[in-house]
Amino acid sequence: MTVAVRQTMAMFLDAYRELAAGKLFWITLALSALVAGAFAAVGIDEDGLSVFWIDLPFPITSSDITPASLYKLLFFQFGLGVWLTWIATVLALVTTASIIPSLVSSGVIDSMIAKPISRTRLFLTRYATGLLFALLQVTLFSLSAFLVIGVRGGEWIWSSFLAVPIVLVFFSYLSAIMAFFGLLTRSTISSLLLTLLVWFMLFIVNVVDNEIIEAHEAAKIRVESQERNLDTALENARLSYIQQQERQGNELPEDYRPTRDEVLTVNVFIPTLERAIERNRESVQDLEPWSRGMFIAKSILPKTGETIGLLDRFVMSEEDATAFLGFIPEDMAETEVDDETGAVRVGIRDSATAVAEVYESRSLVWVVGTSLVFEGFILGICGIIFARRDF
Amino acid sequence: MGCHRAKIRPTETGAGDLQYASGMSSDLAIDLEHVAKTYGGLFRKKTPALRGIEMRVHRGEVFGLLGPNGAGKSTLVKILMTVIRPSRCSGSMLGGRVGHKPTLGRVGYLPEHHAFPGYLSGAQVIDFFGAMAGVPRRERRRRSDELLELVGMTDWAKRKLRSYSKGMRQRIGIAQALVNNPELILLDEPTDGVDPVGRRDIRDVLQRLKDEGRTVFINSHLLSELEMVCDRVAILVKGVVAQQGTIDELTEGQRGYLIRVAETDDATNLLREALPKTSRQLPPPEADPLAKRAGFRGLLPSGESIEIDRNVLRLGLTEPEQIQPIVDEIRRRAGVIDEIRAIRPSLEDLFMQAVTDPTTGEALTPGAANKSQIAQESGR
Repeated sequence: MTVAVRQTMAMFLDAYRELAAGKLFWITLALSALVAGAFAAVGIDEDGLSVFWIDLPFPITSSDITPASLYKLLFFQFGLGVWLTWIATVLALVTTASIIPSLVSSGVIDSMIAKPISRTRLFLTRYATGLLFALLQVTLFSLSAFLVIGVRGGEWIWSSFLAVPIVLVFFSYLSAIMAFFGLLTRSTISSLLLTLLVWFMLFIVNVVDNEIIEAHEAAKIRVESQERNLDTALENARLSYIQQQERQGNELPEDYRPTRDEVLTVNVFIPTLERAIERNRESVQDLEPWSRGMFIAKSILPKTGETIGLLDRFVMSEEDATAFLGFIPEDMAETEVDDETGAVRVGIRDSATAVAEVYESRSLVWVVGTSLVFEGFILGICGIIFARRDF
Repeated sequence: MGCHRAKIRPTETGAGDLQYASGMSSDLAIDLEHVAKTYGGLFRKKTPALRGIEMRVHRGEVFGLLGPNGAGKSTLVKILMTVIRPSRCSGSMLGGRVGHKPTLGRVGYLPEHHAFPGYLSGAQVIDFFGAMAGVPRRERRRRSDELLELVGMTDWAKRKLRSYSKGMRQRIGIAQALVNNPELILLDEPTDGVDPVGRRDIRDVLQRLKDEGRTVFINSHLLSELEMVCDRVAILVKGVVAQQGTIDELTEGQRGYLIRVAETDDATNLLREALPKTSRQLPPPEADPLAKRAGFRGLLPSGESIEIDRNVLRLGLTEPEQIQPIVDEIRRRAGVIDEIRAIRPSLEDLFMQAVTDPTTGEALTPGAANKSQIAQESGR
């Protein structure tokens, strides 16, 4: 075993001891187990949903969604999307916030630097130990998901364990930011608060991006729906005009196409429909630079939302997604166009599908690669500061 | 980071590990030249801490580093251990240039004000720092048991550090500094917070290390402790080495004999008359508060100093034969001798001399340089 391996193992063991010495570590793991247990307690059969053999008054049965899809939905939409991404991540940040400040605090750093280990390796290894907590947490949660879906849903989904690298990469973005602030401020609480602030800003960027995507896609759906509606209206108007002329005894050639003025005598709403399309086309064009700008801006930032969203791509099947969208009431799912005004109510299903397609068009390299470039950049700055600082 | 390789030539040693060794200083564990450190920089006021340290520590000796607060002692130790980057540095440690990381695997270090994690037990601290120093696991276990025994902490080995007293933590600190079987051990205030029994134990440990041929470098304020264990010392004042050598070397010219006669009204005259007739009297220098107190200050015909303070005669003679005629003369004049003993300045005396401003007789202010020196260095 080389000296470097010995040092790395010692630092990871030390990090585990440090974490295990804190109550929050055990509380968070216990909460994770509780969340997994709560999901396992949910059951579905032909009679409906139940929790611990108590029937729930929800009109959903196993004919609407298979047990495996239900558990996947619970774990990956709520367990991972809400619990691991938000609550457990905040707890993990709180637990590991002291990793760098405690390293650079007076009385500890002297003994560490005075060993045959380069400063850069010392810092990076210490940073990596901060990911240990997230690794333990997400591994246990993924194992729970695997077992619950397998035992209760009857489907052994090995891709559940994809949550481990995905959540770990997601956590590493925030951890790098926290390491940077920890190194600058040497304060656990300051680094934690500043990291939460940056995370909140990233969240806002994601929300704005999502809003722009939704608005853009909705405008495109409107245009497409209205165009389809206009085509239908024009075709109907042409037929109506020809029928009207035939009823009035006017002879028309077999391939006669009524002029616009003739069509408008039958359907006076067509100009209104055309204006509505034009407005929405303008909306699409107006939103395009914003959409592109946001894409470029996000290219240099860590993509927390999209990284977690990768699980949907790799774990959730088409069938699961369809089952999930199947819960949307039918009258809200489909897009509808008013024949007279051209007003469009974009259906939730259409909108969700279009937005999902946009996110899926963003490549893995863009989502994870550029985020890791950001993380590498932050860690590079940290490495330079750490290597040049007098302690 | 680290020192320049000036005067140091590279040599291949075992397993292809490239080390740097000086042909002229192969018996030196530490050989420093021109080590300087100035804090501050572009946007902050420059404050010199070390202004060109030259220091040599021989292999196998116990070396003491003394100095008042702010003299730069800890800065120097931290530069040796790569905790602080020097502004300028030329020198070597164990044959490797200062800052050469692999060399630190052969060095043990106890920092001042260390704060080892409270969640670790004493044995775990030793094991952790042993692993960080690159010691194999089996070796660490064996060394850990030995060292816990050595520092008297075997019974506390499995308890968490948070339950330890300061002295206990210091003992564990010394043990972790020795876990890699180091050739050179740097101890920054090792007896800080340790009770007298613990201090004696630490002295015994130091003696044992010395007997094993290891080099020990101690930075301490406890001068009496250092005097008992150190072969050589350096006194650091305002960022430079004011004095360096064995205590005998440093006190050369200040050793002598003290003769105390019975306290009578005529004691001073008795002592003056017992001196050789050709002795010369010197005027007391204004700046020397000790000399001003003396009743008589002068030189023997052979040039050695004389000082009479009421009934006490101090002679700058080093050989016992030289004082016999004066003793005979005191007796011939019916003087009653209470005490005759050889005198040698203590380390504390040396220290006070080094840190006392010769022009004012007052202790020098903390810091590496006075205002004019700072201004001068900032202007460069």
